[in-house]
Amino acid sequence: MSRHRSPSRVAVALCAATVLVGLTACGGGEDSTHLTWYINPDGGGSNPEGGGQAQIAAQCTEQAGGAYSIEVQLLPNSASDQRQQLLRRLAGSDASVDLMSLDPPFIPEFAQAGFLAPVPEDMVETFTEDRVESSVTASTWNEELVAVPFWANTQLLWYRKSVAEAAGLDVEGGNVTWQQLVEAAEAQDVTIGVQANRYEGYTVWINALIAGAGGEILVNPGPDLDDIELGLDSEAGRAAADIVRSVADAGVGGPSMGTADETVALNLFQDPDTSGFLVNWPYVWAAFPANGVEFIDDIGWAMYPATSDEGDPAPPYGGISIGVGAFTEDPDLAYQAAECITNHEHQVLYMTGTGNPASRAAVFDEAEVVEQFPMADVIRDSLEQAVPRPQTQFYGDLSTAIQRVWSPPDGVTEDTPAESATLIMQVLRGEALL
Amino acid sequence: MDATPKQKWSLAAVSIPVMLWTLIPLFWIFSLAVKPQSIQADNKYFPREFSWENFQLITTGTASNLFNPALVNSIVVCLIATVISVVLATFCAYAIARLNFPGKKLILLVSLAVSFFPVISLVTPLFDLWRNIGLFDTIPGLVIPYLSLTLPLSIWVLSAFFQQIPWEMEQAAQVDGATSWQAFRRVIVPLAAPGVFTTALITFFTAWNDFVFAISLTSENARTVPAALAFFTGASQFEQPTGAISAAAVIVTIPVVILVLIFQKRIVAGLTSGAVKG
Amino acid sequence: MSTVTDTPQTRRRDQHRPKLSDRARAERKLGWKLAGPAFVIMLAVTAYPILQAVWLSFFRYRLTDPDAREFIFLSNYSVIFTDSLFYQALWNTVFITVVTVAVELVLGFAIAMLMHRIVLPRRTLRTIVLIPYSIITVVSAFAWLYSFRTDTGYVNGWLNTLTFGAWDATFDWFGSWLPAMGVIMISEIWKTTPFMSLLLLAGLAQIDSAMEEAAKVDGATFWQRLFRVILPNMKAAIMVAVLFRTLDAFRIFDNVFVMTRGANNTETLSTLAYKQTIDRVEIGMGSALSVVLFLLVFAIALIFIRGFKVDLAGSK
Repeated sequence: MSRHRSPSRVAVALCAATVLVGLTACGGGEDSTHLTWYINPDGGGSNPEGGGQAQIAAQCTEQAGGAYSIEVQLLPNSASDQRQQLLRRLAGSDASVDLMSLDPPFIPEFAQAGFLAPVPEDMVETFTEDRVESSVTASTWNEELVAVPFWANTQLLWYRKSVAEAAGLDVEGGNVTWQQLVEAAEAQDVTIGVQANRYEGYTVWINALIAGAGGEILVNPGPDLDDIELGLDSEAGRAAADIVRSVADAGVGGPSMGTADETVALNLFQDPDTSGFLVNWPYVWAAFPANGVEFIDDIGWAMYPATSDEGDPAPPYGGISIGVGAFTEDPDLAYQAAECITNHEHQVLYMTGTGNPASRAAVFDEAEVVEQFPMADVIRDSLEQAVPRPQTQFYGDLSTAIQRVWSPPDGVTEDTPAESATLIMQVLRGEALL
Repeated sequence: MDATPKQKWSLAAVSIPVMLWTLIPLFWIFSLAVKPQSIQADNKYFPREFSWENFQLITTGTASNLFNPALVNSIVVCLIATVISVVLATFCAYAIARLNFPGKKLILLVSLAVSFFPVISLVTPLFDLWRNIGLFDTIPGLVIPYLSLTLPLSIWVLSAFFQQIPWEMEQAAQVDGATSWQAFRRVIVPLAAPGVFTTALITFFTAWNDFVFAISLTSENARTVPAALAFFTGASQFEQPTGAISAAAVIVTIPVVILVLIFQKRIVAGLTSGAVKG
Repeated sequence: MSTVTDTPQTRRRDQHRPKLSDRARAERKLGWKLAGPAFVIMLAVTAYPILQAVWLSFFRYRLTDPDAREFIFLSNYSVIFTDSLFYQALWNTVFITVVTVAVELVLGFAIAMLMHRIVLPRRTLRTIVLIPYSIITVVSAFAWLYSFRTDTGYVNGWLNTLTFGAWDATFDWFGSWLPAMGVIMISEIWKTTPFMSLLLLAGLAQIDSAMEEAAKVDGATFWQRLFRVILPNMKAAIMVAVLFRTLDAFRIFDNVFVMTRGANNTETLSTLAYKQTIDRVEIGMGSALSVVLFLLVFAIALIFIRGFKVDLAGSK
C-alpha cells in the first residue's frame, strides 16, 4: 500500500514546489533606477526607433547617462481598457508603475484615490511653461498640478473641398454648424464621419456638443458626491441630443453609425464615392497617405463645427499627461524622467513621428512641424479653445452611464439628457447597476 | 445496417454542407491573416493578395512583445494546470474505480457541480484576494483558479476511463510471479496511459480556452493568448488590429487543430465516456 | 494492488464496528488518501472564493475608495433585484441559453445521425466536425465578428448576392439588439454544436440496432422510427447533453465581450458581473451579482436533476 502513498505525496510536493517557484520567479526585486513607463499605443509601438514614446524612452535613458533607465510597457487600445489596467495595478499598490501615460479624464479619479505621487513644487513651473491652457487644466485636480502635460489632442473638421463647394458651404472661412453640415451632407448624398459607438469616443462627441451650446455636463467639478450637480438636463443638453438624432435620422452618419469609432469613421471618409465630412483627431492626416487615399489634395480642414449659430465651437480635448505612480520607489527620479519625456525636443519628435500634437505652443512654430502639418496653426487654435471632458473622480461611471443612455444614436430623444442625468446620480449613489 | 450505394452517396452529399459550415469561419480567419493591411476592409472572403506582414508584425514586429510572451504564458500556465490536475485526478480516479469507500459518489457529484460553476463568480473574490496577497498578474495566480476548471474535468473523465479498464489483468500478472512494481509498470501503466493522455489533452484544451480568468486576473506579465487577443493594439490607439488578431488566432489554432486531427478518436472517446457512460 | 499483504492484524482490537472488516477499513482509508488531495484542492479553489464573495457582497466597497468601505448587508441585492439592467441581462442570458440549446439539439442530433451512418468520408467528417470544439472561443468570436462587421465582413456581400441585391449590403449587424444577439448565438452554436453532437452520437451508439431493424421490417417510416424507437431509447443521453450545454450556455461571456461588450442591450449576467467588478471596481456589487449567478446555476442544475430525473452518476 505504501506504494500509493508516496506518489501522491510526491505529487503534492511537486505542485507546491511549482507554485512556489512560480511565485519567487514573479516576485523578483527591482533596481530603483529602473523605471517602467506604461504607454498607450501610438504607432511607434515598443520600437525604440518608431518615432513614438518608446523612442523617447530610449533617448531619455541615453541622455540620463546611467541616472535612470526607462522601459516601456504597452497598454491596451481603448482609453477605458488603459484606465482599467492601470487602476488594477495601482489599487494593489504596485511599485512597478513608475510612469504612466494617462488619458486626461481619468486623472481626477487617480489623483483622488491617491494613486499619483505629488508633483515636486520646484518643478511645477517647468511642467507648465509654454503649455496650451487646456493641457494644464486637464492635468490639474483640486487646484494642484498632479500630472505632467505631454501631448495635447483636439478634433478638427476634415472635409472634401469639392463637396463643400458644391453645397455652397464656406467651411474654411467661418464657423460651420452641425445643422449646416447635416443639410449639406444630405443634399450632396455624402457622409459625416462621427464616433457614436458605445465607448469613450461617444462621450467625447456629446461633451463637445453640450459645451458648444454653452452648457456643461458637470456644473461643479469637486470631490464630494453630495456636491455633484449635473448640467445635462438643460437647453444645451437637448441641443446636443437634437444634433445626434438629426445626424442619425438623416442617415448621413454612415451605415454603422451606432458602432462607429475613430477607425470606422476614418474608413467612411476614405470611401471616395460617399466621403464628405469627418470629425477626427489629427492622426488621420498621416493615415490618409498610408491607407492609399487618392484625393488628399481635395481634403480640407477647419475648426470643429459649432453646435448652434450663437455659441463658439468647443472642440474636444484629448491627449496624454504623464503621471508618476504613488508607490514608485523614487518619485523624484521619475519626475526627472517625466521632464525629459516632455521637453521641447521630444515633443517635436513625437509630433512629427506620430502625428500627435504637442502640448507646448512653441512646437507648432518649428519648421519641420509646419512642413509636415499644414494645419498646425488650426490645431493650436483649436487646442486653445478646446474644452476637456468633465473633471471628476467619478468620471468612469459618469461617462459609461452617458454612453449607455445615449446609445443607440437613433434612439436619442429630447428626454435622453434628463434620463442620463438620472442614471448617473443613481449609479453614483450605488442605487443602480452599470 | 448496410447502406445501399444510393444511401451512401446521399449521406456523403449531406456531409458537405456540414463540413462547409465548420470550415468557412476557419478559412476566413486565415484569409484575414494573410490579407495585407491595405485590403483588410475589402469585404472579400478570399484574399486577392497574399502577404506575411501580419505574421511578421506579431512574431518579430511591433506587436511581438504582446504576442510572444502571451504565447509562452499560455503554454506554461496550461501545462502546469494540466499536469497538476491530471496527477491529482489519476490518484483520485483510481481510488474511485477500484476501491470501495464512502463518499465516492459525493466526489463525483462535487466535481460535476464544480465544473459548472459560473467562472465569473470566482473572479470577483479572487481579484480582491490576489491583489492583497500579490498573486495578481502572476503565473500561480492563474494556475490556481485554472484548477477549478481542470481538476473536476480530469476527475470526471478519468474515472470513466478507469472504470472501463480490465484491472483483473494486474492480479493475473501478480499471480504469475511479477513483483508489484513490475505489475505496475507492465500492466497498469499501459492500461491507464491512454486514458490519462486523453484526459490531459481535454484538460489542456479547457485551460487553453479560458478567457474570463485571464482578462480579470492578469495585466501584462501573465497574460495568456485569449486575453492578449482581446487587448491587441493597432498601429495607433484609433486603429483596429484586425490583421494582427487574425494572424495570432491562426498561430494558436494550428497546433490544436493538428492535435485534433491526430487524436480525433481518443478525444471523442474521452468526451463521450466522461459525459454519458459516467 | 493487492491489499492482502497490508492487513494490520494488530488493529483488530480497535475495531468498533465489527461489520467492517480490516480489509474494508484499510481500503476505505486508502480510498480517501488517494482521492482526498484532489477533492480538497477542488473544494478549496471554489468554495473559498464563493464564501468570500458572499461576505464581500454585504459591503459597499469600491477599490478606488477603500476607506469608505461600509457594511450594508443586503442592500446590494435589493439594488440588483430592482434594477432593469439586471432583468435585461437575465432575459438575454435565458434567451441565448434557450435558443442555442434548442438549435444545437436539433443540429447536433442531425450531425450525430449523419456521423453514425455515414460510410464514405467517415473519418474526415468526424475530424472536421470536432475542430470547432478545440478552437478558442475568443477566436471563434473574432472570426464571426469580422464576418459580420460592415467594414471587414463578407456576410453582407454574400446575402446581397443571394437575394439579388435585395439585402442591404451595408446592414449594421451590431447596431441593434436582435441582429447582434443573432451573431453572438451563431458563434456560440458554431463552437459548441460538436460537443453536443458527440454526446448524442454516444447515445445513438448505445441503441440496439436490432430494434430499429425490426421496426423497419414492420414498415415503420423514418419519422416513426425516429420518434418511437430512436429518441425514447436515448432519452438519458439527450437529457445529459441538454443539462451540460444549458449550464455552459448560461455563463456565456467570451462571445459577448468580444463582439458587443454589452452594447445595444446585449449584456448577459456574466458580462454584467464583470463590469461591476473589473470596470467599475465595485467589489461589493460585483460579488453580489456573482452570488446571484451562482445561485441561478445551482437552481437550474437542481431542476434538471430533480425535475427531469437526469441520472448523472447512475451507472456508477
